[in-house]
Amino acid sequence: MAEHSEITASLRAFQEGYNKNKRLKKMNADWDRVVLVQANDIPSEHTLILRKGELTIQEGPPEKPDIKIISDSETLADMFYGDITPTQPYLNGTLKVLGTEDDVVRLDFISLMIWGE
Amino acid sequence: MGLKKVLTLRTIVATSAGLTLATSTFVAAVQVAGFLAGNAAWLAILTSGLLCFLAAACFSELNGQLPSAAGIRLYFGRAFNDNLALVISLFYMAVVMGIVGAESFILARVLSYAMPAIPPLVWIIVMFVIAAWINIRGVKIAGNFQDIITYGLMLSIIVLVVLAFGKINFRPENLTAVGGPGNLIQAVALGVFIFVGFEWVTPLAEESTDTKLISKGMLIAVGLLSIVYALFAVAVSSTVPKEALKHSVIPHLLFAENLLGKTGVIWMTIICLGASITTFNAGLLSVSRFLYASAREHVLPTCLSKVSLKYFTPWAAILTIFFVGLAISIIVLITKRYLIFINIAAAMESLIYVLAGLAVIKLRQKTPADQRPYTIPGGIILPGLTVVVFAVLMVAVLITDKIAGLCLAAGLFLSWVYVINGVPVLRERHRKRHPVRRRRPVKIELEE
Repeated sequence: MAEHSEITASLRAFQEGYNKNKRLKKMNADWDRVVLVQANDIPSEHTLILRKGELTIQEGPPEKPDIKIISDSETLADMFYGDITPTQPYLNGTLKVLGTEDDVVRLDFISLMIWGE
Repeated sequence: MGLKKVLTLRTIVATSAGLTLATSTFVAAVQVAGFLAGNAAWLAILTSGLLCFLAAACFSELNGQLPSAAGIRLYFGRAFNDNLALVISLFYMAVVMGIVGAESFILARVLSYAMPAIPPLVWIIVMFVIAAWINIRGVKIAGNFQDIITYGLMLSIIVLVVLAFGKINFRPENLTAVGGPGNLIQAVALGVFIFVGFEWVTPLAEESTDTKLISKGMLIAVGLLSIVYALFAVAVSSTVPKEALKHSVIPHLLFAENLLGKTGVIWMTIICLGASITTFNAGLLSVSRFLYASAREHVLPTCLSKVSLKYFTPWAAILTIFFVGLAISIIVLITKRYLIFINIAAAMESLIYVLAGLAVIKLRQKTPADQRPYTIPGGIILPGLTVVVFAVLMVAVLITDKIAGLCLAAGLFLSWVYVINGVPVLRERHRKRHPVRRRRPVKIELEE
């Protein structure tokens, strides 16, 4: 079981990877989304905010998210560090991504662009 | 803390029914009538619909327990094992491509009948190009547009049926003359094809906050479709001679022409176009997303995971389906054996329902503590009945069409060979190219 601070650190690593990628920022310039990242085995909630291509992170849940990412703390930490791809936990049901299909594909693609295959 | 975008029950019903409504299903509805002696097609279709309620109940329980766009891949993986889930999913996607091929062939024949100057091959190519372009551009059929198409189609068919009954001064005669139990079983088995795809709405679970809405939507959609198709089949078989219907690819067009002349042909052509748009698009969309996810998981070649940097759509998977679908359509156009694809789809769908019933039973044993927003009442009776009934129907389809049976067996075998031998090679290749790099710092736990 990962700790809340580990999930925070993984999200910071993800944010750093994202913000380094200028192409990705440009591609998401018109994709404004609020994403809730929630662990289902420990009390841990974060909000990812994408505005005009910039990614920011906040502690705690948003009021009205566009997308919800729910999984156990270990999977979340590994996934945002890029140690595992989201596809496997998604297909075996460990990871739940609630949102439109387009948004789900876009999130997977962002992870692919940051961490590679 | 609800999601901003959520689906309504009206749109869920429209999507579930819309995925099922297709040009090929009208042909199948008329084929069902062909199996029976009298005017009893309604009986077979309502029975098929009623049996699909059983399957819908199983999918409702599975979807409530495991709400995910991964659908059967996840349900069967959890209930049985990942290899079996993969074998079934891979072959099912191939069958969906076959349905798209048969659908485009039948629609092309309909359009050629309405506009004889343009040959069917041209229509097929035009349809595939449009569908691929729409999918690569990421253009989505909006919920409201889906509502208008589905409910408009159903209403339109009901109006045609009423006109037909009025024209012949319809009297309810021979409505239960089935010509023997064997005929009825075969008719019901083919009738299952009419409802193929109603459960494709389950991936929308992630766009809906209440998973119960998906279950309710599926059940309402199956009920509405049963009534519409039953009335349609009776109207067609009452107004057009059975001999004319028997070997026709476009029996629904003959019905409309018989009823309203040229106006009827135009009306039915519009209905077919509306019905095919959603099926075509849904087929391409679901298969392309499946190929993409499988490639990301290193189950299929990595090249299929290429995504358009402009539209964020899996263009390589979409183009693959474009070429495979086009090839299937051309094969159907040359051989005219579209019924094989319909029968394979009916048998495969029955197999999926058998496994869904078994998955419900197995998951109740394996994970009894899991939350289930919906549980099928009566213990294992209804899931068990689903298994038995659809196993019988699958056998009935395969007895009727032995070539379809051979294709189904060969397809499942090839899928199994690929999963056992091909997938480990792809995964090993990926492991060698991308050695594990751990970025997450290792947690050091001090012992007291």
